[in-house]
Amino acid sequence: MSNDNLIETDVLVIGGGPAGLAFAIHYADLSKKNNLPIKVMILEKAAVLGNHTLSGAVMNLKNISQLLPDVDLTTIPTQTPVQQEEILFLTKKNAFALPFHPKAMSNKGNHILSLGAMVRWLGQIAEQKGVEIFAGVAGHEPIFENGKLVGVFTGASGLDHEGKPMANYQPPTEVRAKIIILAEGSRGHLTKKLIEKYSLAQDKNPQVYSLGVKEVWEVPEGAFLQGRVCHTLGFPLSSDQFGGGFVYGFSKTQVVIGFCSGLDYSNPAFDPHGALQMYKTHPRIAGIIKNGKLIKYGAKNIPEGGLFSLPKLYHDNFMLIGDAAGMVAMPSLKGIHLGIKAGMTAAQAAFEAIKAQDTSKETLSLYEKLFKDTPEYRELYASRNFRQCFTSNLYFGFLKFGINLITGGRGLSLSGKSKLEADYKHCETASKDNHLPKVAFDNKMLFDKEADLFFSGTKHNEEQPCHILISSRDTCVDCIERFEAPCQHFCPAQVFELSRDAQTNKGKIILHPSNCVHCKTCDIKDPFQNVTWVPPYGADGPQYDNM
Amino acid sequence: MNIIICVKQVPDTSEVRIDPVTNNLVRDGVKSIVNPFDMYAIEEGLRLKEKFGGKVTVLTMGPPQAEAALREAISLGCDEAVLVSDRAFAGSDTLATSYTLSKAIEKIKDYDLIICGKQAIDGDTAQVGPGIAATLDIPQINYVRKVEEIKDQTITAERVTEEGYEVIQSTLPCLLTVVKEINNPRLPSLKGKMKAKSAVIQVWSAADIAAAEDRIGLKGSPTWVLNIFTPPPKPRGKIFEGEAQNSVNQLVESLKGIIH
Repeated sequence: MSNDNLIETDVLVIGGGPAGLAFAIHYADLSKKNNLPIKVMILEKAAVLGNHTLSGAVMNLKNISQLLPDVDLTTIPTQTPVQQEEILFLTKKNAFALPFHPKAMSNKGNHILSLGAMVRWLGQIAEQKGVEIFAGVAGHEPIFENGKLVGVFTGASGLDHEGKPMANYQPPTEVRAKIIILAEGSRGHLTKKLIEKYSLAQDKNPQVYSLGVKEVWEVPEGAFLQGRVCHTLGFPLSSDQFGGGFVYGFSKTQVVIGFCSGLDYSNPAFDPHGALQMYKTHPRIAGIIKNGKLIKYGAKNIPEGGLFSLPKLYHDNFMLIGDAAGMVAMPSLKGIHLGIKAGMTAAQAAFEAIKAQDTSKETLSLYEKLFKDTPEYRELYASRNFRQCFTSNLYFGFLKFGINLITGGRGLSLSGKSKLEADYKHCETASKDNHLPKVAFDNKMLFDKEADLFFSGTKHNEEQPCHILISSRDTCVDCIERFEAPCQHFCPAQVFELSRDAQTNKGKIILHPSNCVHCKTCDIKDPFQNVTWVPPYGADGPQYDNM
Repeated sequence: MNIIICVKQVPDTSEVRIDPVTNNLVRDGVKSIVNPFDMYAIEEGLRLKEKFGGKVTVLTMGPPQAEAALREAISLGCDEAVLVSDRAFAGSDTLATSYTLSKAIEKIKDYDLIICGKQAIDGDTAQVGPGIAATLDIPQINYVRKVEEIKDQTITAERVTEEGYEVIQSTLPCLLTVVKEINNPRLPSLKGKMKAKSAVIQVWSAADIAAAEDRIGLKGSPTWVLNIFTPPPKPRGKIFEGEAQNSVNQLVESLKGIIH
């Protein structure tokens, strides 16, 4: 690697989401206040900030005002205050309001907004403060020196399907930094490598996830109140599955409809995208969108394991923040404000370390110390055993959740720490019994994957190596025999297609990587852990703008 | 060898929606991109520079925000960038635009080759490239799919025609318009993006390029647009389904009916 392709900075942030931007903004502020040079750079794989950001989102803006005390929060785009909220239990045809609204789930004072729009807004502020942001650039490979992380390589481009350089080849750029902040979001591929290399998840619960599938609908005025927040349990999931739906009144004429499915389900034919479509057949939901028009589609994973699934948050020269670390507080299903707070506390630790010219794990341990002292950490602590309640049955889960509330989150286990099992370990053998009722797609209200995918705006350069890596094709054969290829169902973007030979009926997986929406469910849920997700060329992927 | 690439900033048509009431394009909030055909022109310019040395200058006429298109060109490896921007250019048709860009090219001087995309995806006229060559009174080769050779101030190139291709030889300086078969454009590297952020873009006004007042903007634009319409769609092709041998026979039969 020639020096022509080397960039050096003090702090490199991988990922321009809310956590990464909060980090960079706070780091720039601290540096400026102390008359130190602002050398912080963000790499974001999406073509434009916010394009790979997807959330509900109902957000608590409190931490934004802590991050930006001098900024008028009404300038955050797309925000609408929560006016009304309810939790419904759905049966196939009916809806029952939950008689009580748990305080931990209350959204009073919160705002509905597009996280993508907010991220772009934060990005402008960060750039004004001297943060260098490069969108359309993915961190590809970690660089280690003497056993320590010292930087990342961006991806090369101009490669053919086999990975051989073509006439338009551009080599990777080597970015070296004293501190690297992993803010990649849920199941970040660099974060995953670092967690493995440094055993950061030792003695922790494995991370578990939900896949959130979301659509934005344009509806006639009056179809759904702006500022209304509706969460649902029940239909179309059976009581042994964790998950639920949400409907948010985003504006007078736009409504957000989504469905989150816990990936610890065991039916290999279950389809999270299909669950959202089925959800829309419920009279309550169908009534809202029947005269509407679909305008956006997307899907993203949510790390839900909670406190005991958080890996160690730092090591020599690097720290993990936000969804990359798994910072989501259940049961409110909120993580944005945690990511922002983690970003701010990590920024303080990074600032002290750069000042002291000591970026060892001993110095960076300040981050964890500071973070443990925040209300956000206490929120994680209070719900530390929440997800563990809901691993078998919904009703039983609520009973356990009740006990949790009484015992201050401790639950009934002796250690005070209930265990979780990784999502991929839940998979039953395929049989006729686990085939799900078919959705009657009409591509007006109920969209098949291909039709929905159009609304994600996803696109990929066709001339590149496949970014969905399959370790062993033989394993695929086993998987097809035993489980009938769950990948064809769990992927919300139809990347995996099961094709059977007409004569022998032998199955084969055909990949369509250019459909990918970067949700990484394949990396999480494949029962043999046979799939690894790596970033494609920079700027490839969905174009979510206001998701 | 010094090369000038002309580019245009255009709305990203994959993002353009149609207003259901007025049937007009909704351009609000639609992001702008470098005209896709111009990306092939940039790539060809960079490859020729890599082969023969010299300098690549990228040129555009447009509003101040067209600077973004030039920065993108720099991120790919272009050396210098010129934005010709003046309120006096507003309303330019292809003739006035060709004239304006020619005046800017005269100011840049010392060039061997000018490369343009075959057309812009918003207007689709394919007139500005040839217009520049005519104004500068230099030879032009249009719809180039391959540059075969450049030596002794002579260029040999293949140009696509409706029937096949022609091999054309010309003296330099010369103007090329290129088709997408010519190459596979590169993507910007991080290093390139950094360079683009800090690059200085020269901005020239009508006075800077000594443009004659009656040849620019609305005054210099004799084109009248009478009507814009969608041409009738081509009838659908016929698909022969079923067993291969059968379908082939049917296809041959129906072709026999057309070709006597």
